[in-house]
Amino acid sequence: MEAKQGWLASRVPGLGCVCGLMKEGRAPGVCWIAALPALLGALLAVLLASGAVITVYYNPWHAYASLQGITREVRGGWLVLSYHQVGASLAFALLYLHLFRILLVRGYRAPAEFAWMLWVKLLALLLLTGWLGFVLNGGEGGYSSLFNTSNAATTLSGFPGAVAMWFLGGQPGGSTLARLLVFHVLLALCAVWVILMARAAARKARPMLQGRVVPFWPVYAAQYFAALSALALLFALLLGFAPHWGQGTQNAIPAAAMAVPSISYPWYLTPLAGLAGVFPSVTGHIWAVVAAVALLYALPWLDRSKGAPPGRVYKLLTWLLALDVLALGLFTACPIGPMLPELLTFWFFFHFLVLTPLVTMMEAA
Amino acid sequence: MMRRFFAPLLAAGLLAGAAAHAEDTLSPLKFQSEGAFGSIDLAAAQRGFAVYQGVCASCHGMGALHYRDLQALGFTAEQVAGIAASVKLADGSAATPDSHFKEPAPVNMGGATPPDLSSIVAQRPGGTRYIYNFLTGFGPAPAGITLLPGHNYNAAFPGGQVSMPDVLRDNAVTYADGTKATKAQEAADVAEFLTWASDPNLSARHAVGLRAVIFFAFLTIVAVLTKRRIWRQEG
Ligand code: HEC
Repeated sequence: MEAKQGWLASRVPGLGCVCGLMKEGRAPGVCWIAALPALLGALLAVLLASGAVITVYYNPWHAYASLQGITREVRGGWLVLSYHQVGASLAFALLYLHLFRILLVRGYRAPAEFAWMLWVKLLALLLLTGWLGFVLNGGEGGYSSLFNTSNAATTLSGFPGAVAMWFLGGQPGGSTLARLLVFHVLLALCAVWVILMARAAARKARPMLQGRVVPFWPVYAAQYFAALSALALLFALLLGFAPHWGQGTQNAIPAAAMAVPSISYPWYLTPLAGLAGVFPSVTGHIWAVVAAVALLYALPWLDRSKGAPPGRVYKLLTWLLALDVLALGLFTACPIGPMLPELLTFWFFFHFLVLTPLVTMMEAA
Repeated sequence: MMRRFFAPLLAAGLLAGAAAHAEDTLSPLKFQSEGAFGSIDLAAAQRGFAVYQGVCASCHGMGALHYRDLQALGFTAEQVAGIAASVKLADGSAATPDSHFKEPAPVNMGGATPPDLSSIVAQRPGGTRYIYNFLTGFGPAPAGITLLPGHNYNAAFPGGQVSMPDVLRDNAVTYADGTKATKAQEAADVAEFLTWASDPNLSARHAVGLRAVIFFAFLTIVAVLTKRRIWRQEG
């Protein structure tokens, strides 16, 4: 190990650094939940590998038919597609969980604010990549979502209009999916880069080690391995018995020329879809999504606590926010009453714009 | 030797099992493909194909399937060749095992066209059971419902009015395996066939999933125990 590290480090500095992590000292007794980013990285690797196989057989001009071909004609194709689907589902689950944990312990404050901003960027990237994947399926729901979005994008002017034009290429047509496939792959690769950066930034922001220090190998390696194995168990459960969990049946129908009036999104996009749907017009939806992500991004400045540990009120509010987002997804997927998405969306913005500055200021005082 | 001795016994046992099975799947309704350990009931799916071919194919296509795919249901290559040869394509030639299922001439009934059935089970909430309920859900419209022209009442269909007519009846087909072709039996069989068509890998998926779950459950236990031991010593 020692010799190898020296040999590697003198030739490829980056890789030598990875080997160094194995010997890096850590504070003892860190909870397994701190391993979430590593698990997320493993899922991204699964997504990239399965995605590489799918791209080979995917035909953007006959999206739905080519995916049917992968499931029915390509040997093992159904399995690879399921890896991709289940991997995406679990990646979102872990990222949401990770963000929630950072919120709960106020881990977004300096000196970790840069890491936090990278995690939010990762969220934005994955949301966009996930939406593109939804669209690339060539199903009814994805097509309708694309249709609405690109129609709204053509009404944007100035710089946003130019960006939208460059991204979507105007009205959806035969080549739109080919263009979006490129972005789907590019953004996924960016996500890998962002997750590496975020981990590096989070490591730098860790407090200085004091007292007893334990080595990563074998103490934390054993913990990471147990966590990874549990994740694989969950993966296998979904893969074998609920591969379409939270996906709905709408996108299994091939896209027709007409957009459907009500789109059902995969579960990981529903909270955001519900939040966007509250606002009038598709242009309004786009801006609502941008605003929601921007608020998360601005959290280090909205928090006025100046280093005070999170108090009881703040923790309660953070749990409420998590419930709020869950409920937003649930009631968007199965609407039960009017005004509910409006109320939940209001709470989301109220939480960040009013409650967070107020409560953190009071707790710091 | 042992194999030769046991095979007929085994086959007889399976047949008896299958026969006993076929009797009680309708009340209460049960599909072998349902649930975490479900697998496609090949005998039922073969009968279901007969129903599709005899009744549904005149209106509904299944464009994602080839005749050769039927071998996965236990039809022999000769049987599949026979099935394909009996299908006359639009240009007058006979189909081959490599042909896609024949597309029926397009029809428009009451403003609706019959959807392709290749993936219908994946495309409807409720899946297999919905198909069964739909096919057995026709009946006289209850009082208070006025049917649109060209529509029929169907209790399972959203809105209750559908332009597809009630096409199944007792003995609409004759089953090769001697099963009594009641209307409910036909509906259940074609539902199982459509379940296979939508997800041809259902049985394989459950088998792979089960093995993977057992493996990773075991690995997780070992990994957690190992971690505990290491942490007790070093942590
Ligand atoms: C006479 C032509 C005809 C025949 C024969 C026929 N169908 Fe249909 N079917 C239709 C039409 C037309 C529709 C569209 C109904 C609508 O949307 O109103 C339809 C719709 C369906 C649907 C979709 C229902 C939904 O939820 O949208 C299913 C499932 C279906 N048929 C199954 C079958 C099966 C199984 C058979 C054979 C047992 C069959 N059909 C035979 C004409 C037919």
